[in-house]
Amino acid sequence: MFGTYDYTFQFENEVILAKIEKKNGFFQYTRICNGSKEEKILASDSGRIIVNPVEPINLPEEVGRHLMIEFDPIVVEPHTSKKIYLTFPIEIGVFVEAKREIEVLDIFSAVDQKYTLYGSPDGGVIARWHPSGVFAEIPKTYPLKEGVLELGIRNTCRDWVEVSRVVFESVDMKIYYGNIVGMVAVMKILNKHTAEMDFLDQPLMDGMKKSIELYTARKIPAIQKGYLMEWGLN
Amino acid sequence: MAEILSVLETPLGIGGITLGSIFWFVLIIMVATAVAKFVALNIKRALVERVPKNDLDLLTKVVYYIIILGGIVFALPYLNVELSGLLVAGGIVGLVIGFASQSVVSNLVSGLFLMFERPIKIGDNIGLNDIIATVEDIRVLSTIVRTFDGVYVRIPNEKVFTAEITNYVANVARRFEYVISIRYQDDAERAITVIKEVIWAHPFALKNPAPSVYVDRLADSGVNIVVRIWAPSRVWWDVRTELLWKLKVELERNGIEIPFPQMTLTFDDELKGMFRIDARGAGEAARTPLQQEENAPPIRGDGDGG
Repeated sequence: MFGTYDYTFQFENEVILAKIEKKNGFFQYTRICNGSKEEKILASDSGRIIVNPVEPINLPEEVGRHLMIEFDPIVVEPHTSKKIYLTFPIEIGVFVEAKREIEVLDIFSAVDQKYTLYGSPDGGVIARWHPSGVFAEIPKTYPLKEGVLELGIRNTCRDWVEVSRVVFESVDMKIYYGNIVGMVAVMKILNKHTAEMDFLDQPLMDGMKKSIELYTARKIPAIQKGYLMEWGLN
Repeated sequence: MAEILSVLETPLGIGGITLGSIFWFVLIIMVATAVAKFVALNIKRALVERVPKNDLDLLTKVVYYIIILGGIVFALPYLNVELSGLLVAGGIVGLVIGFASQSVVSNLVSGLFLMFERPIKIGDNIGLNDIIATVEDIRVLSTIVRTFDGVYVRIPNEKVFTAEITNYVANVARRFEYVISIRYQDDAERAITVIKEVIWAHPFALKNPAPSVYVDRLADSGVNIVVRIWAPSRVWWDVRTELLWKLKVELERNGIEIPFPQMTLTFDDELKGMFRIDARGAGEAARTPLQQEENAPPIRGDGDGG
C-alpha cells in the first residue's frame, strides 16, 4: 500500500479500502477502515498521492506527542550495550502533493489505540501505549499494523538496570518503509531511573524508503531533539 | 513650499514648540503605530502554525508595544521633552497618577504578574469565583473569558489575581468518577469485569493510572459500584460522557440492571391490604378491614383515596 500514486490510486484488502475516483467532475478520495469512513473532494487535476506510515500519535485525535512501548522486563548488565527489536503501532498517512507542496489528506489505522500517562499528572506526558514482545532478530510483522523498532540499549551506569518500557517523542521519529516498516533508536541509560532516548535517521534494512514526517508536512519546527525518560524505566 | 515651511516653523508659544514639531511628533507616532501593526501581523502570520497561540499573542503584544514605545521615545524630543527631565518629573507624576488611578495600576500590575506567573493560559478551562469558562485572552488590564454557554465576560486582572483559580486543564491528566448502582440479585463481580472491559476498550481511558472499580456501598435500593477513571485533561469530558452510556448499555447486555429506587414495607398486623369501602355520601368514604368484627364501627375515610 505504501508508495506514490497518481489519481488512479486504489487499494483494498480485508481491512482497508482506499481509493480515488472521479465523481461529478471531481476527484474524490474515499477510505474505509475499521468501520470509519473518510471522504474528501480534491480540487486538483494533476497531483500525486503519497501513502506512508506516520508517527503513531494522531488517532483518534492528537492528545500527546509521545509513544510508550511496554515489554517484558530486561535486566541490562552495567557498562554494556545490547541490541533488541520491538514492535510499534502503525498509523497510515495519506498525503496529496502538487507543485512541491504537500498536504495531509487522511490519517487512519487498522489497530486500536490506547493511551497512558508517563510520570505524574502535573509533570508527566500523555503517551500512546503499545505492548510489544522482545526479539533478538527482526520479527515478522504485518506492515499495515505493526512496525519494527531496532533499539540499541547502552547502560552507562555501574548498576544492573531493569528496563520494561521506552518512551519516545514523536518529533524525532524517522520511519522507513519497504517490505516492513522500521525505525532505529538508541537508549542511553544514565542511572536506574533515567535514560536518554533518540532516533537515528537511518533505515532498518537496505532499500527502505523514508516516510514523510507529519511535522515536516505540517511545517512544525522540531526544536527539541531526543527525550529524557526521567519518570522511571519500568 | 516656502509658505508651508514658514507655517511649520510658526511657534505655538509653548516652550518653543512649533507646528512643525507637532507635525513630526504625530507623524512619527503614526508611522510607529503602522510599523508596529505591520510587524505584529507578520509575526502572527509567520508563526501561527509554529508557536502556541497564547505564546504568540504575548509575543506580538510585546513587540507591538516595544515599537510604539520606541516611536514615543524617538518623537518626544520634537516636543522639547528631555527624557532625563522626565525621569525626575516622572516620579512625581507617577505618584500623582498612582493615587488617582489605583485600580487601573492595580489591574495593570496584576496583569503583569498573571503573564509572568501564568496560573492560567489562553484556552484553559478555569473556575474563577462563580464562573466556569474558557480563557479567551489575557490583556494588560483585564482577562477575557467565555462561559460554556458562549457568554463574553471581562474580569479585571486584580480580581483574577486575588481570586481562587481552579484550572481544570493545568495538569495533563485528570480523574473523574461514576457511581453505578446494580440490583442486589446481580453479580457484582461480573459487573466489575464488564465495567473494566468497557473502560479498557476506550482509547482515552488511561491505562496508567489504572482505573479503579469496586463495590463501595450496600445502599437502600442497590449495590453501589464506584468507577474512577483517569483521562487526558483535553478530552476528559468527552470520555466521561461517552463511557457512561456505553457502561449502561454493556451492563444491560449482560443482564445486569440499574435498579429503580424501591422500598419494601412489612406490616406488623395482618391487614394484608384487604379493605371494605363504606361510602357515606358524595366525596366521603369509609373503609373497614374485612377481617374486623361485623359490629365494629367502620374506619372513616378522609375522601382523598388514601
